[in-house]
Amino acid sequence: MVHDAAIPAGIEPVYTAAERQGIYYSAAMWTPDLLELLALDLQISGRDSLAQIPGRALLDAWCETLAVFRDPGSAERQTLDPVLPRLCQLSPAGLEAGLESVLGGVDRDSASKLQRQADGWTSENSRSPLVILSLAANLPALAVQPLLPALLLRCPVILKSPSSEPLFAPAFVNALTERLPALKPALAAITWKGGDISLEAPLFSVADRILAYGDAETVADLESRAPERVFAYGPKTSLALMSDQAEPTIVAAGLARDIALFDQRGCLSIQAVFTTDDPNPLARGIAVELDRLAERWPPGPIDPVAAAGVQQVRMEAALRGLTVADTPLRTGTVVIEPEARFQPGPGLRTVRIHPLASMEQLPEILMDWSGQLQGAALAGDSAWQLCPRLTELGISHFAAPGELQTPDATWHNGGVHPFTALTGDELRDD
Amino acid sequence: MIVDQVLQFIRDPTSGEFEELAREAFAFQYEQIETYRRLCQRSEIAPKTVADWRQVPAIPALAFKSLDLAVGDGGEVFRSSGTTTERPSVHRHVFPDLYRATIDQTFPDAVLGDFPSIPILSLIPDRHQAPESSLAFMVDHVLRRWGAEDSLTAFGRSGVDPRRARSFLAARQRDKRPVLILATAFAMDQLLDALDRLGLRFRLPVGSVVFETGGYKGRSREVSQQSLLTRLQQSLAVPAERVVREYGMTELTSQFYTAVRHGGDPDLFLPPEWVRVRILDPESLAETAPGETGLIAVFDLANLSSAVHLLTEDLGRADGKGFRLIGRAAGAELRGCSLTVEELSRS
Repeated sequence: MVHDAAIPAGIEPVYTAAERQGIYYSAAMWTPDLLELLALDLQISGRDSLAQIPGRALLDAWCETLAVFRDPGSAERQTLDPVLPRLCQLSPAGLEAGLESVLGGVDRDSASKLQRQADGWTSENSRSPLVILSLAANLPALAVQPLLPALLLRCPVILKSPSSEPLFAPAFVNALTERLPALKPALAAITWKGGDISLEAPLFSVADRILAYGDAETVADLESRAPERVFAYGPKTSLALMSDQAEPTIVAAGLARDIALFDQRGCLSIQAVFTTDDPNPLARGIAVELDRLAERWPPGPIDPVAAAGVQQVRMEAALRGLTVADTPLRTGTVVIEPEARFQPGPGLRTVRIHPLASMEQLPEILMDWSGQLQGAALAGDSAWQLCPRLTELGISHFAAPGELQTPDATWHNGGVHPFTALTGDELRDD
Repeated sequence: MIVDQVLQFIRDPTSGEFEELAREAFAFQYEQIETYRRLCQRSEIAPKTVADWRQVPAIPALAFKSLDLAVGDGGEVFRSSGTTTERPSVHRHVFPDLYRATIDQTFPDAVLGDFPSIPILSLIPDRHQAPESSLAFMVDHVLRRWGAEDSLTAFGRSGVDPRRARSFLAARQRDKRPVLILATAFAMDQLLDALDRLGLRFRLPVGSVVFETGGYKGRSREVSQQSLLTRLQQSLAVPAERVVREYGMTELTSQFYTAVRHGGDPDLFLPPEWVRVRILDPESLAETAPGETGLIAVFDLANLSSAVHLLTEDLGRADGKGFRLIGRAAGAELRGCSLTVEELSRS
């Protein structure tokens, strides 16, 4: 039976049978004392063990593990594939595409780049904090993005999975520690019900740092209980910009991919497209490509709340006489919105296309969203020339259409270097 | 004139026929609202082609954020709350007498019972504080019609005024007169928190009632209904069967109540005679089977100013003549790390 925990030897929680979405697995039962013991154990034994691991060995084990999880035929994937789509509420093909997108971003080339930065990392307070990585709900494989920098800095880690999807992180950690046993004392991937103050208090008293993916309320709660030790990756949104120098039919395929991946639930999922070109060919192109992707990567079960929002968008657009691509709701929704303003959509692969008179309009349009923006897919030279101004608004990741959802390992999520997020220290160049 | 007919029907449902009035109301809005007429024309739907109220094209609640949907000028203007990034809904109520009539017909039976007048404590901003709030309009009407002289509003710049509320409740406990408390779920939560901090509890006289509305969306904390009922019993001695829930919105006119005062299900909202409710499949917009979750679509004759047939943004389940509201927490687990409109409304 699949376990929801990957833990060092000597830590022995009681396991009980658990069920979620019709999936049965073995769930570890955590107590405050046991969590504290785990944290102390990782802090002491884990640091020592991590310090002995050569960088090359770490990188090799990392890449081998990635390869296993990118291979649908591997034993690990064969175990996870029947259950993970249901837990994540994605289709099997949608999950496959999402995994490939995230895992592909932290492969050898970009992991090596980050490792070189780790080697050159200097700070007044060099240390390897014990880090709790509290993961977002239902975006599979997100664990790899904060995990790699933590390991490269030789930080012992507790990966806390959301209770809605407790299986990927332990499976990944088990596979990694199998390939590099020296990691075993330094890593744990577990889950518990978040927000349980008495359960978490001893753990939080030991942890040096907590990286949290979650909404404002979750983050505020953590910050109140672990002051000055929380780094938050709050919810954010992304967009695309296309100038009239780009070819809409080519751009449309990439944009559709960035819209459809993870059923538009990621912070790098595109919610709106701005263009200085005629919006009609682009809108048609995106609608056609979303239709194709609905075959190749069918959407997961339709969330009624999201569907309610999409119906509102569709019907409001129809009432206003806007151009709405005639596609089934589950395929996606494309609306040409003449008003030059930005707002996130209701999800389910919904996108608004906004015509602009000039690129210069965009920073002003996005001003009220400063700090809530994550990525921008850019097509055409004059779109790329806007990067500095978009960076000032907090956009941390720029890519060509189709590549937005595959940030590499050095990505400054939220505009912050991954090492700074882990340690609180600024990166210095030697 | 259709307005008079609808008004008459609200006051006396035997004076007309819903289906006929529905078609006439549609025809009226078709003629008067150009945007709506063009939509109908694009869909090849016209008053003469509609045989049943279900065929009348519905207007989405979202449209009130971007369009002027009104059959004329004058009357009241209501706005929902907005933020720097999210626009409010604007509802121009050309016929505010229809709104008052709906309150007159439903509020006494659902909430007041036998009291011709009652001391009322309102935890809702009054019309001076919130001149464009449709809820404030309703509460103002209720206070004028049924509020005893010593009724008061305990709401200030930072929310509920617990000191004023406390004095009022203490006085009622002393003089043993039943009270009516009007509150949103969040305002009630604020008051109960304040009483807890002060270690205060009241035993309100038997017959006291709480009118409670909202609490499901656009807030940083969703108020659990069961938790609220428990706290009301503990802190005010108001039992669950005296807590009447109301469902309404800026984009609508009529109100829906639970019939707890008559021994009804505390989670079942019942439409008045001039309203019809359907639950629609979120994907296909076909009517769902009873008990299935879907979008709440309301045909409200009293919404004659704007949209008699409204598709709300809320989810519900049909149950007999009424419906149960499903909280917007459904699907919250699926949000991932994306900032959505849902997340915005929580900030």
